Amino acid sequence: MISTDTPVNPPLLEVKNLQVAFTNRRGTLVAIDDVSFSIAPGEVLGVVGESGAGKSLTGAAIIGLIEPPGRIVGGEILLEGRRIDNLDASQMRRIRGRQIGAIFQDPLTSLDPLQTVGRQLVETIRTHLDLSATQARHRAIELLDSTGIPAAAARFDHYPHQFSGGMRQRVVIALALAAEPRLIVADEPTTALDVSIQAQIIALLKRLCREHGTAIMLVTHDMGVIAETADRVAVMYAGRIAEIGPVADVIHRPHHPYTVGLMGSIPLIGHARERLAQIDGAMPRLNAIPSGCAFNPRCPMVVDACRTIRPELVAAGRSMAACLRHGAHALVPVTE
Amino acid sequence: MSLIERFGEHIERGREPSESGREPSLPSTTAPNTAAPLVVVDAIAKTFDVSPPWLNRILEGKPRLLLHAVDDVSFEIARGETLALVGESGCGKSTIARMLVGLYKPSRGQVRFDGVDLSELGSPAGRQMRSRLQMIFQDPYASLNPRWKVADIIAEPIRVHRTMSGKDAIAARIEALLKQVGLSGADAAKYPHQFSGGQRQRLSIARALASRPEFLVCDEPTSALDVSVQAQVLNLMRDIQRADGLTYLFISHNLAVVNHVADRVGVMYLGRIVELAPKRRLFEMPQHPYTRMLLDAIPVIDGSGQMRTAVSGEVPNPLNPPSGCTFHPRCPLARERCRSERPLLRQSADGSQVACHAIEENWS
Repeated sequence: MISTDTPVNPPLLEVKNLQVAFTNRRGTLVAIDDVSFSIAPGEVLGVVGESGAGKSLTGAAIIGLIEPPGRIVGGEILLEGRRIDNLDASQMRRIRGRQIGAIFQDPLTSLDPLQTVGRQLVETIRTHLDLSATQARHRAIELLDSTGIPAAAARFDHYPHQFSGGMRQRVVIALALAAEPRLIVADEPTTALDVSIQAQIIALLKRLCREHGTAIMLVTHDMGVIAETADRVAVMYAGRIAEIGPVADVIHRPHHPYTVGLMGSIPLIGHARERLAQIDGAMPRLNAIPSGCAFNPRCPMVVDACRTIRPELVAAGRSMAACLRHGAHALVPVTE
Repeated sequence: MSLIERFGEHIERGREPSESGREPSLPSTTAPNTAAPLVVVDAIAKTFDVSPPWLNRILEGKPRLLLHAVDDVSFEIARGETLALVGESGCGKSTIARMLVGLYKPSRGQVRFDGVDLSELGSPAGRQMRSRLQMIFQDPYASLNPRWKVADIIAEPIRVHRTMSGKDAIAARIEALLKQVGLSGADAAKYPHQFSGGQRQRLSIARALASRPEFLVCDEPTSALDVSVQAQVLNLMRDIQRADGLTYLFISHNLAVVNHVADRVGVMYLGRIVELAPKRRLFEMPQHPYTRMLLDAIPVIDGSGQMRTAVSGEVPNPLNPPSGCTFHPRCPLARERCRSERPLLRQSADGSQVACHAIEENWS
């Protein structure tokens, strides 16, 4: 069986059994536990989940920006077949920006308030590309222009506070694209923006990545953004991937009970419902992740085996789900 | 229908040149009876002075700067109804919420709650009325005092308004409230930091319910929460409304959430209501170009990968709003009249209200 998790092209990014843990004096908390996925060149992989599911941390692990005391304790991250999780800080700095770009949620904190946006762009461009100051300036203005900033040449010498939220996020996208990276890790790029601006930024991100053939790992909690942007989507729960598959399948034919609950809890226009589907309880804290399947205390279909056996990702339709109800050796008969 | 017609008259009255002389008298139709709307908002406006300091104005010749956060807004909320206000950041929706509970004083106009002017909140009668309206805030981390125990947080409205006395009676009430919002009585002895975001929002709701209010102003109550927790809180708010017959003003920027909770929806843009209509009408047949634009901007979860129509332009600076209809720089239908003349909120045939020259004159 050909699983959808192994794209036909050789993957651009491969994450294998990634484990990230935080150690403090009270013990070790495993925040990401055995996460594996891959991203093909030019592909948009959405990563969804609720706060604390580990989605941002997965992004941070890939760009090598996990803050101590957190660290990668297991697994591998490969970019174009080369391991990048064990590089030292200076080697990683060369990859970050050049090969992996990053876009964060709050455009104001990802820009230096004391420097003009032009200077920040030129600095980024000249760090990674061998260009003269004049060439870099040209390229910066081109970039600002391509992200839809009106009068880019005039805006070049403005400071971040002189831009509106949507315009700032365009500058951040220009910065991320400055060195033409192969992959962009976008962590909640539209969460801080109004809906009408959100649509503009998503359209922009999609267009630029298509033009440059850049792959995106799009981390967000907004299923709507995923639905219209991503090719595949990974649903994370308590530091693990609960389900991963083509976006239409995960949304319309979810297999994991958590994904089913998550989809039902989203208010939709045009689907009048008296009550929203509700997953009772809350995601477990990292120091109290239940044994077996992490979702078992909240799962409406829980059986005894779920409390002891930790499910692996297995094929379920065109997706893969980590649920004992699925797979060739399903312990629990699927009753639907 | 009669309610809506009265509403219409009200709007027209509110729109009259009203700088000084207009009598803020109670119309006879709002005499206290069950058919009368619970909340009447009559042409309120809020202006914030954001001028540079006095010395800078003198030395640098800088002018006074006034920000018109809310400009001439009128609406009514019937008993047991949920009115939602939607709009993008900076459109004045939270300012309205704060004026409705008396946290801000309107610069012009009047808010009446059950026939009583809210500017009287300081009087003894006003204080008694104050216990009948409560607010739920957006950020459940900032709106609960971290040094107080849950029991004290929830009992605060009871103590302030002296609606109950006796330690045991209050303790029993706290336990009942905690159970009503889906927590347990034992949680009363805990501190807010021991709860998750969704549980904290449940505590905020319990506190708001403590004084047995009739009217709850909810300012983005779920926008800080995850979707699955949001579903829990929205379901809870609906159950409470059913059980206690509460009236809600629900402020949100999320149209899908509004579609789920509201009976009527007002769409705001730069401090004004541009469209006010029953929920179904608004979502099925949006009239104002801005409403249509907002609805088009909602991501569609049908997995077709279809792009929403990206809207051009951004919300203008409210310190220097465009002339005429403030939406005209982004409006696909804008004509000369829109640049010069401000459209009034007019009743359309089906009982909804729209402020748009294009709708009024049927441009196509």
